[in-house]
Amino acid sequence: MLTLIRREIRDNIVYFIAAVVFSAILIALLINATYHFESSGPAVYVGLSIPMLVILVLGFSAMGVTQMYMDRNRRISAFLSALPVTRSRILTARIVAGLLAILIVLVPLTIAAIVLGRLLALPIPIFAGYIADILTTVFLMVFACYCLGLLTGWTANKIAPTFGALGLNLVLVSLLFVKGFGPDIKFLLVLVIVACLIRTWHKFMSTSL
Amino acid sequence: MNDNVIKVENLVKYFDGRCVLDGINFTVPRGCIYGLLGRNGAGKTTIIRILLGTEPATRGETSLLDTESTNLSPGIRGRIGCVAEGHNLIQSYKVGRLIKLCKDLSLRWNDESFGHLIETFRLPMDRRVKDLSMGMRAQLNLSLAMAIDPELLILDDPTLGLDTVARRQFLELAIEVIQKQDRTILFCSHILSDVERIADRIGILAAGKLVVDCPLEQLKERVKKLQIIFPESPPEKLYLTEIMNQQIQGREMVITVANWNRQKQTILETFKPSSCTEIPMSLEDIFIECTRPGAEPVQVV
Repeated sequence: MLTLIRREIRDNIVYFIAAVVFSAILIALLINATYHFESSGPAVYVGLSIPMLVILVLGFSAMGVTQMYMDRNRRISAFLSALPVTRSRILTARIVAGLLAILIVLVPLTIAAIVLGRLLALPIPIFAGYIADILTTVFLMVFACYCLGLLTGWTANKIAPTFGALGLNLVLVSLLFVKGFGPDIKFLLVLVIVACLIRTWHKFMSTSL
Repeated sequence: MNDNVIKVENLVKYFDGRCVLDGINFTVPRGCIYGLLGRNGAGKTTIIRILLGTEPATRGETSLLDTESTNLSPGIRGRIGCVAEGHNLIQSYKVGRLIKLCKDLSLRWNDESFGHLIETFRLPMDRRVKDLSMGMRAQLNLSLAMAIDPELLILDDPTLGLDTVARRQFLELAIEVIQKQDRTILFCSHILSDVERIADRIGILAAGKLVVDCPLEQLKERVKKLQIIFPESPPEKLYLTEIMNQQIQGREMVITVANWNRQKQTILETFKPSSCTEIPMSLEDIFIECTRPGAEPVQVV
């Protein structure tokens, strides 16, 4: 399994480098915004978070599409299936690699947010556990879009599913701004993740390689 | 434990409503070299893909090493070496990386034998697979399949793209594998002289059916090509069953008959031919007769 995960990371190294760079940018922006909170106000947080979230969501959705499309196009799973590997392991390794890429962005950001939260008491009242709440929702959002990407990448027809997935990604992001970071959206995102994974799993396991 | 390494039962496969395989049945016992033959598009690769679990069957059951093809575990797959048609390797990888990946994923890896093959074939480690010639890809694919010291070797047109020397090297390698005890090989090829040289059982696919499934020697005994000369013009009907081909020219009649036996010989003798000479048939001749377009499929089993 580790070999398969390593292979996925190496094949999609661009996304992992991009995740590290993006994480660094996000932390830098977070530090900057926190230190200049009084002068710039909360509008800066909102103004920065929207494009960042859109980039994050579309980036990971593209990663999912790339992983599956490259596999289909280069017949990677067909080759791997001739080795002591099952399809379920190939897909599991792929999803684990995707999760790792997401965590590369979100874990350092979480740590930075916790450290900053302890170092500086924000001048506005915020409920306890806000960091966990926001980051859990963002994680679920990004993972849901990644799963949508996986599903889109494993289809013969490209144009309609790509635009469909793109639209769905944007709907999910806008839902975040409508519903906030509460349990409702978390439940909805978990449903999207489960549905996408089941469908991807079924398609990947049953189609000819 | 069952002694049949490969088992195919009532296999049916449809592609877009077209029946490609129509109730295929055959078994390959341990230690056997089975040559599966057929014209382009006859369904040889489809059978192999179904056996390896990369293609779902429409109906029927297939198993490898006592395990259903749809449930092949990594442990079972680790005992099977496979050279796929078109040498389905990851094109964007460098040779060295591909070898490392296969080695890391394999359950056993014979470094000595693999090193010997790589040296023999002089494969460049630092070149990408897509930059290799077709022949080199075939050699790499074969080396990877052999390196795991497979219990079952599935070769789908493995010599495609190889030059004469490399083809001979390959056959010698295959014979080396055969000599190891209990090794089984399923071998598809269009180069029938290769198949004739190494196979001990033959299966021929025609019109979606397995029209031949018997040992090579038996096949040569059962399919007879006879040149019969009659004192006058040949009879319109010979009343022989399973005539695969019949040509008449003057007093001479050339027939190819499947499942030749004493009974058929007796029937033929009743026509009192002036002479009846057997024309020796190679596997290629038999194959052409079995897969002739428009011919009624005759079972030789």
